[in-house]
Amino acid sequence: MLELATDALTVALTAAGLVFFLAGTVGLIRFPDTFSRLHALTKADNLGLGFIVLGLALQAESWHAVFKLGLIWALALVAAGTAAQLVARTALRADEGGRPTRQAEGRE
Amino acid sequence: MGRTPRQHDRARGAVKRGLLLAFVWVVLTAGARDGLILGLAVVPAATWLSLHLLPYGGAVRLWRLAALLPGFLARSLVGGLDVAWRAFHPRMPLAPGWMERASRLPDGGRVALGGELSLMPGTLAAGSRGGRIILHVLDTTQDNAATITREEARLAALAAPEGRS
Repeated sequence: MLELATDALTVALTAAGLVFFLAGTVGLIRFPDTFSRLHALTKADNLGLGFIVLGLALQAESWHAVFKLGLIWALALVAAGTAAQLVARTALRADEGGRPTRQAEGRE
Repeated sequence: MGRTPRQHDRARGAVKRGLLLAFVWVVLTAGARDGLILGLAVVPAATWLSLHLLPYGGAVRLWRLAALLPGFLARSLVGGLDVAWRAFHPRMPLAPGWMERASRLPDGGRVALGGELSLMPGTLAAGSRGGRIILHVLDTTQDNAATITREEARLAALAAPEGRS
């Protein structure tokens, strides 16, 4: 009985995760510019992975596996936040045509 | 005896970093016994590399970080729901724009703030210029300034010395 409830919760959580991954992809395709697309990818995919990790953690057979899943999510989160900033910064610089007055990003 | 407080702090920082990485190692190897032996070499090496890449610079208190976690998760959930709703909506309600904000945070703190803001509803960091963070916002009609002020205050409190909050 408990197993059934856990399984149902896993299905619900991973399904929610898939919806967010789909939302990220829909945003990537529909949104009008690089920066808006980055919003969709970063925020929605982070949640998608979070829900899938939660769903899978319920099926984990040891505490190691739970922490490992958590670690995967945390590292992906940090990577996503960093990558989004780097892509946005580079895209912004390209948009501005690399004018000399604008090249001081992140130097101070 | 004979150690300055500063050295003492650094040693404590190194031990904490080592313990954290040792925990990660046990998680990665699932506590296997042969993994522990290899860990005796790997954990010190990783600790050295970690301190080399990111020198100990004052305590970021783990329990304070843990205290921030629920709020962060809740707001990044809102961020994801917000952007998912806009993506699926037939008329795709967006009002994108740009903002610049002065930040008192040091370099590393600004990068952390940028990463965090990129997961909050409607804000995305796009580098900084002369100590000012450049942000892309998804909806110029919402109160993005409040989001930034709030996240910055939270991060600043994280690195603040004990007793001040």
